[in-house]
Amino acid sequence: MLEPIRQKAKEILEKKEADGVLGLRKGLWDVIHPHVFTTPEEIDALVLEPKWLLAKMARAILREKPRSYRLAVAVRGCDERALVELIKRNQIDHERLLTIGYACDGGQAKACLCSRPYPQKLDAGSAVEGVDPLADERVKAYLEGDAGERMEKWTAQLKRCIKCYGCRNSCPICVCVPCKLEDDVWVERGVIPAEMVSFHHIRAFHLSDTCVACGACQEACPVGIPLMTLQLSMRAALKKEYHYEAGLDANRKSPVLFDFEKEPRPGQDVPDWVDSMGKKP
Amino acid sequence: MSADRGNVKILVFACRWCGLIGADGAGRKRIELPSSFRVIPVDCAGYVEPDAVIRAFASGATGVAVLGCHVGGCRFNDANHPALKRLEMLKTLLDTTGIGGNRLLLGFGTAHESHQYADMIVDFHRELEGLPSMASWLSPGQ
Amino acid sequence: MSKISLFLCNCFGEIGKVIDLESLKKRLETDPAVESITIVDSLCMPGDAAKAQVLIRERGIGKVLIGGCSPYGKMEFVKLGLAKEGTDIRTVRTVDLREGCAWIHGKDPEGATRKAANQLEMELALLQNMRDSKDVAIGLQQEALVIGAGPAGLSAASGLARLGFKSHLVDRGSAPGGLLNVITKTYPTDEPGPEKIKSLVDETGNNPLIRFYAKTKVSSVKGYAGDFKVKLAGPGGDTALRVGAVVLATGARILFPQKMYGYGKIKNVITQMEMERRFATGALNCKRAVFIQCVGARSADRPYCSTICCPLSLKNAMRIVDETPGAMAYVLHRDIMTPGSLLEAYYRKALQKGVQFIRFDADRPPEVRGQEQVSGVEVFDTISGVNRVIESDLLVLSTPFIPDPESAALAGMFDIPVDKYGFYSEGYPIHPLETRNDGIFICGTARWPVSSDQAIAQGEAAAMKAASFLGKNTVSALTMSRVPGGKLGHASADAAACTGCGNCVAVCPYKACRLQRMGNRSVSRVIKVRCKSCGNCISVCPNGAMQMPEQNYRVTGEIIRRAFREVR
Repeated sequence: MLEPIRQKAKEILEKKEADGVLGLRKGLWDVIHPHVFTTPEEIDALVLEPKWLLAKMARAILREKPRSYRLAVAVRGCDERALVELIKRNQIDHERLLTIGYACDGGQAKACLCSRPYPQKLDAGSAVEGVDPLADERVKAYLEGDAGERMEKWTAQLKRCIKCYGCRNSCPICVCVPCKLEDDVWVERGVIPAEMVSFHHIRAFHLSDTCVACGACQEACPVGIPLMTLQLSMRAALKKEYHYEAGLDANRKSPVLFDFEKEPRPGQDVPDWVDSMGKKP
Repeated sequence: MSADRGNVKILVFACRWCGLIGADGAGRKRIELPSSFRVIPVDCAGYVEPDAVIRAFASGATGVAVLGCHVGGCRFNDANHPALKRLEMLKTLLDTTGIGGNRLLLGFGTAHESHQYADMIVDFHRELEGLPSMASWLSPGQ
Repeated sequence: MSKISLFLCNCFGEIGKVIDLESLKKRLETDPAVESITIVDSLCMPGDAAKAQVLIRERGIGKVLIGGCSPYGKMEFVKLGLAKEGTDIRTVRTVDLREGCAWIHGKDPEGATRKAANQLEMELALLQNMRDSKDVAIGLQQEALVIGAGPAGLSAASGLARLGFKSHLVDRGSAPGGLLNVITKTYPTDEPGPEKIKSLVDETGNNPLIRFYAKTKVSSVKGYAGDFKVKLAGPGGDTALRVGAVVLATGARILFPQKMYGYGKIKNVITQMEMERRFATGALNCKRAVFIQCVGARSADRPYCSTICCPLSLKNAMRIVDETPGAMAYVLHRDIMTPGSLLEAYYRKALQKGVQFIRFDADRPPEVRGQEQVSGVEVFDTISGVNRVIESDLLVLSTPFIPDPESAALAGMFDIPVDKYGFYSEGYPIHPLETRNDGIFICGTARWPVSSDQAIAQGEAAAMKAASFLGKNTVSALTMSRVPGGKLGHASADAAACTGCGNCVAVCPYKACRLQRMGNRSVSRVIKVRCKSCGNCISVCPNGAMQMPEQNYRVTGEIIRRAFREVR
């Protein structure tokens, strides 16, 4: 899989389709780090592992460079979805972006609980079947039981939070400056662990219709809180009610932003103003 | 876990076209209600930020009610539709974490009538009394 | 920061008998933002109101908080009265202590007092932290554009002219008059159609305040209420206009009943409009005419009643009976709709003249007899329960009004919604001539099927609505609101914090948010005149860059924190 990707990257640079290719490079002492390749000769150092989301980095590079600069990014499934979400939110100009997509293997998909371990534009590798995260034991444990049991499980997890903001910083879609999580109005300052209700719920809710389930937040969490699990039921609800999944179509905005006429729930009849009068729900 | 009797705190976001008029009507009819709720008047249910609802729970409210107009009868060009969608999404999140979506009451489409308003407040108060205490969420207990 | 003076109204003991006002006063006096607390007996009475006014004037205090009855009680009037002293009405806030507290917690005085204190403190937080959203005033173009020169459009233009406003009357046809031009007789007065609007048509030629554009269409629209920039495309080239308000009176069409009752295949199966044309040319020659009502109307896909077809059939049936000796007219109907005293009398007149009425069922529609020429109609009479065959040499189909195919494009241009059939729909049911887009008014059959009389009346009403809007020199963004007394403020985006995600642009029901390029990123900008302060943009903004200064996020946060605060 590595060779076709290198080939593709070389082609892009030779044909000057892009000014640079963003990918991982095996550098001095075999240290792997993100790098913008600018010459075809350099490409031989391009590697694909480990999983390292480059979407936010691509945004930063494109903002820095002049508007004529075009960037190609070597992406896996989740990274591509994150890029789509960033394009949707006007963070990246889609005309300045190229992707070289490669699929993850089954092991990676299982480790990430990924339901779509492949990009839509696949350049190398073959797509493996995804995993249903809601059927996995690790996730199920947190979503089962009555409210009291879940409350116990979640408070036990969240009280270990050291408020390092790793979840926010590693998220490929969190780009707001300033951030509500740093504001005294929403989250009490100088309190550790972070206020459990406000900090975690606000963070999770802000990503409700944007989360691409890459798992970066929980990989970054130093105390191992299963943060992605918080998003899964909201993702499932969006999929069920509006047939919407984040990161697939840059032209479809979140259905939560529109009224029922524009984004109806399938099967739901929008009541007429007159119809709804005097009706007890 | 012990029930939350005697510690019910309801924050009501009432839209001034429906919810607030319902509240006014309940007052004029002298319907006796529990004094456990506080009302925040807003111009439209669209004004109710999900973050504000979360902040209310974090600040000690045990229940939040959002009272808006009929779906389809909003004064602001269906501005209450996205509000309803957002808050339903928030309910899903609250259900996941165990705070419970039933602590968030969405009264879209009924609140104009004062008796329904009163019923809603009384029923919600009674329901919250039976729910487990939220104390473990608020004090991390090192 | 100016301090706040607080008035607690006792309401002749209605509030004081439940809520302990003295302890409330003691508790609130500790708040550093409060300058003074005055307990009065009744703020709505002249004596106490004057006392409050004197206090406000003496101290020159900017912000006032009143605890009293609900805003739906007397509080709006009290606010207006206090605002006369020069205080900005937006800094006079009230808290509902009577309906919202004393009257519903009569059995729990302690809880009621606690609640009253909390509610007052919450409102104090708002007064303390509110910022002023700068009002924007735009110059108003005191001219109107009226699209469509049918009865509704003509009367709208004439109404505006009578009120002294210049209007541009645009029609795609070559002469004003619309559908009425082809009607030789109108119901119920039997006045010829052109005669009915003659004075209005003459006015378009004579009145200098009305400018008529024949064979002209609207090609583009920009701007917002008070200042629309409209481009017209006509035979004389393009015209650019700047108008303050727009009246849409584009009318409707009559449905052609293709493939119904042999229309288009069998000779002498015609529509009501063709009948009018035959009357006009004198080509009508029939002995036994049959009218079928509700053709293509009150059905599953077009469930509405078109209002005009029943009186129209009555008129034409009577005309046949009157003009041709020995002629017969049959009206096959599902229900005769003749509301009001005039039309009901018209129906009785038709009965007296011998017009036959036969009721049929929607499930068993009449059947046409004859191959090339109509020879008769077979119908099941639901009242007598028998199948009847009526010999006939003319079959007239009463078809309903349907929206004009061009009105959808216009609706898109002016950013107003159409209902599920394609007629323009009003912004809110109790404001029937106004649309969701300010400054755009609808009237006539473009809105809903109406008779010419109703269309003329609606045109005048729309002219009044437009005139009341145009009658100012400037438009202030704060008054552009459905809220009586103006809105509290409008949203504004903090350009430094805005990430340009476009959520507000997607969610805004008034299209008030726009994305603007700023350096290497885009930021949101609010068109203040369009904003109605529904707050959706504020709720979807991920980092609080979008705020309404009056009720900003600091206010919200502080209100929520104070909601259940206990006494210190």
